[in-house]
Amino acid sequence: MEAVKEAPIPAMDSLTAAMKNNIVPNQEYLLQGSVLDSAVEVLLHRLRGLCDNVDSGPETFHDHEMCFSISNVYFSVHVLCPLHIIINIIFLLGSVTPQPLTLRVRRAIDYLDMPYQLRYIGQPELGDKSRPTILRNSIDVATTPTIVDFLTEMGFRMDFEYILRGYMFRKGRMKITVSKIFKMMVVGKPAPESVDPISQSYLVELSVLAPSNQDAIAEDMRVFAEQLKPLVHLEKVDYKRLTQPPM
Amino acid sequence: MGVTIIQQFPMKENRTGAQIIEFLTKRVNALGAKQCGTFLVDCETYASIPQLGVQRTLHVFHNSEQPASVFAILDNGTGKTVPVVADALFDLLLLKMSSVYTSKKSKVEIRGPRFELNDFVIKIGAININHNVKGIIVEAEYRPCVVFGLCWDMLREFLQGFLGSCVSNIPPHYFQNRMNDIFQPLDTIQQYLDHITIYRKATGILQPFNTTNT
Repeated sequence: MEAVKEAPIPAMDSLTAAMKNNIVPNQEYLLQGSVLDSAVEVLLHRLRGLCDNVDSGPETFHDHEMCFSISNVYFSVHVLCPLHIIINIIFLLGSVTPQPLTLRVRRAIDYLDMPYQLRYIGQPELGDKSRPTILRNSIDVATTPTIVDFLTEMGFRMDFEYILRGYMFRKGRMKITVSKIFKMMVVGKPAPESVDPISQSYLVELSVLAPSNQDAIAEDMRVFAEQLKPLVHLEKVDYKRLTQPPM
Repeated sequence: MGVTIIQQFPMKENRTGAQIIEFLTKRVNALGAKQCGTFLVDCETYASIPQLGVQRTLHVFHNSEQPASVFAILDNGTGKTVPVVADALFDLLLLKMSSVYTSKKSKVEIRGPRFELNDFVIKIGAININHNVKGIIVEAEYRPCVVFGLCWDMLREFLQGFLGSCVSNIPPHYFQNRMNDIFQPLDTIQQYLDHITIYRKATGILQPFNTTNT
């Protein structure tokens, strides 16, 4: 018979302790770039040479990602009211409405029995020139497939979905993905005949998921990104500048 | 992992929760069971904010038997429930949702000793709602089998052996459409939720089976 164990610690207490001790991987260091379809083979060849999984070759993946959001204010003005009231309502909402919460659900199409991945990604911090990578909050959770229905019933709305197909490499703690993004012509149907590539390029991402304050890894990433030049230029992509309309 | 059933044990007016646990501990020890630590099941309930329309209720459970998992059961307010089982970091994600789902501040904890007796695991716990003992819950697991319908009769007999006539001859309501399904850890949690709902609805100390079967 087993010896008498210690009393179980409440789950929230052990999570709080893990957060305090900085062992929860909740930060993602990220660099991004892209290559044209015609150049991808050369890049893959280079990565095969540089990365850890030399013998087994790169791991392929084929994922379906859905992006959900929820906002704490949904309103519609049904009656005609004076402009100043509308302005006041908007002003009030503007002062209390935070950004909508966005969550991503990712599932493997090629391995149907794998858990789904639910992911929160925070606002990217670019930092100054001395910081080699983007830093963003990230919470990655494996869940059962019911998560899609669960989020929908919670009040989340699916904003968009897409298919990702590509290769994954490892180099120590770093993860390198080379993937092609496809848009889905039919909602919820990731079948090969109903998807279309969104561009003639591959997205290249170099990332590490780590607990807070592990900035040394960012330097390793910068060095690795240097080794991939000039095949691909991995950079800190500023999303804010991408969303601004051209002047 | 086997089949687990959960049973309420009646509270007696002149006895505290701790006294009943001690009383039942003596009974299972007499059967030859050995105590192997303690267990803890907790539940936190959240409600959606009014701006989201129909009020939805989210129950989030942890079970010391599956310490790396979080169990969440959503009631969409119109009769549909959707469960999800996730990694422990799901709790961190929930904090991000605090602007749309707020805690109802009625924390439930079930804790007490855990025993092993050959193929069985027995847990005797006091159910605390906001730190008030509301009743006693007994969990029995038969580990070699994963189909409820195949071991219900034996589990019932086993429970009746040390709990007496408070154990009904009719299978628990939760299993009536799941007699031949493969049992999963989520099924234990769903049963806990059924019992917690009954305790929450009751006012004061609940005495659903206030009989003299002890």
